[in-house]
Amino acid sequence: MRSRTGPVVLAIVLLAAAAACDATNNRSSPPASTQAPAQASDQHAGHGEHGAVAAAATPAARAAQLEQYFAQHTLLAIRQMRSILTATPEYREAADAELEEYTEELGQVVGGAYGDAQGERFERIWQDGITHFTAYATAVAGNDAQARQQARTTLEADAGAYGAWLAGASKGRVGAADATAAMRTHVEQLMRQADAYAAKDYDQAYRTERDAYEHMFAAGTALAKASFPPKTAAALDAPVAQLRAAFAMLLGEHMQLIIDTQRATFAGAPEFKAAAAEVNANTTALTKGMSAIVGPVKAKEFQSAWANHVEGLLAYSTAVADGDESARAAAREEMRGYGSRLALFLSDIVRNELPLAPITSALGQHDQHLVDQVDAYAAKRFDDAQAMELEGYAQMLGVANTLVGALQRTVKPGLPVGGSQTGGGGTAHRRR
Amino acid sequence: MTRATGRLAAGVAALAVALAGCSAAGAQRPPPAATATTAAGVEAARQFHSTRGYRATPVPVRIEIPRIGVASSLARLGRAPDRTVEVPDRWEQAGWYALGTRPGDPGSAVILGHVDSKRGPAVFFRLRELRPGDQIQVVRADGSSVRFAVDRTAQYGKRRFPTDDVYYPTLTPALRLVTCGGSFDATAGHYRSNVIVFATRSP
Repeated sequence: MRSRTGPVVLAIVLLAAAAACDATNNRSSPPASTQAPAQASDQHAGHGEHGAVAAAATPAARAAQLEQYFAQHTLLAIRQMRSILTATPEYREAADAELEEYTEELGQVVGGAYGDAQGERFERIWQDGITHFTAYATAVAGNDAQARQQARTTLEADAGAYGAWLAGASKGRVGAADATAAMRTHVEQLMRQADAYAAKDYDQAYRTERDAYEHMFAAGTALAKASFPPKTAAALDAPVAQLRAAFAMLLGEHMQLIIDTQRATFAGAPEFKAAAAEVNANTTALTKGMSAIVGPVKAKEFQSAWANHVEGLLAYSTAVADGDESARAAAREEMRGYGSRLALFLSDIVRNELPLAPITSALGQHDQHLVDQVDAYAAKRFDDAQAMELEGYAQMLGVANTLVGALQRTVKPGLPVGGSQTGGGGTAHRRR
Repeated sequence: MTRATGRLAAGVAALAVALAGCSAAGAQRPPPAATATTAAGVEAARQFHSTRGYRATPVPVRIEIPRIGVASSLARLGRAPDRTVEVPDRWEQAGWYALGTRPGDPGSAVILGHVDSKRGPAVFFRLRELRPGDQIQVVRADGSSVRFAVDRTAQYGKRRFPTDDVYYPTLTPALRLVTCGGSFDATAGHYRSNVIVFATRSP
């Protein structure tokens, strides 16, 4: 049986760290050392055994949790489908197990938002979906058109079941048709990426994977909103909340795309290039996002530091795939230097709202997750690789939250105060 | 060190302890690569370069709003010493808040214009006539342009100006047009409200 202690411990410290630094969180939090998982309800959670997933009470915390679980679940499903398409039984075993456990935890998270009974209903629908995605991938792998069509039909029915469920669970705040349409998009994206992957159209497969991730991240926000009365849910429409979600989405996506690309190194040149192209697309999006906050000059500096970080990570996985021990050690050393310089840059742009040491440490942990996951993957310890993926993703979202919290404290004082004096003489007033 | 940063440091330290176990587990050396497929992947990976050389979006130089007959060059605006936003010097010219987003980039670009002068209408006199779906075009210094579609038009008292909704950075490319509106305070020589047009980038 796989150990789940690590994720639970990780959840505790991440939640405590994020809660301490989140400017939007006005609740006082106990110190990390005394904070129990059930109390640490704010922000991103690790995942664990039954009962370890804490319910989130505030709109921001609930959104963060559902975004994380929906997005991660999507990627687990995609990877499980690809394990079927590539006929790699050892990896499939790990992917199946992880997906099953994560589905259970997702059910608990949804139960935390909508009540246990609704969480159980949701989990049944979601479990059906997993069964049918598996059937779809199996049909594609076996080139069985009839089974493929049957799986498609059942998946479309699953989307309808989700729509009906959400309309009921949200007490009509979301219409069944809208929820069904959103879930149908999800279904279509997962089928499309499987079709493309099977056809070795890796560009399409990885691009669709990225779309699917972003779609379900946003679906997590929508699911959180629908669980609150509109007045309370409006907090998630505020620019501050939108910025948090957008950065968490992009930084989490970076983590997941690096994992894709590391693993794709073992799968040959076309797949590597397709995955790496999405890493670059994510870097471009992150740089533009940074530009919105710190301006184009600093954004360019960020991109340079970030590019070094990305290249360091992929130099390491290249050395691992090549079995080159000295290149591996050299890449690891370079990563430390890149991490320090990136931390210095981030600390500078948040004007010391976050001290340098914790940023350096958090980036070092991010690197370590990716190092450990590719080491495990190369050694065919797929359970460990999957565990590192989940822990690393949760950690990255925690870092994003902390970073955005600091950015928010930096940005706010620089905004113009009050309205504009854009009227000269009252003639407009008199003429209307 | 503040209490908050102290807690963060404690959390990160605990995280490092938690991760030490993971690192130990991952310290086993992977087997060397053996397949031709992996060798090809390794070769491709060696050629990888992260995207660099970020080029900032060119600054905006002109705004056109056919629906209300606006076609104006753009002045560059900053913040006044009292931290309020600067406004254009000329009645007939709109201005772009240059400390914020460039139109088309993620975030809300802000363009301001006067509603009137003492003599009559100014560049944004008809701004409040804009309705959802109306098109706005912003031309940039390199000749490229970006289009926005109006989502809504609203009026706010200046004391309740929605600063975050107008200026706060987000990652959605958007445009905000701002002018004056409402009743005129003749004593102060200013309007009491602002009219704001909220628009998002068109495909």
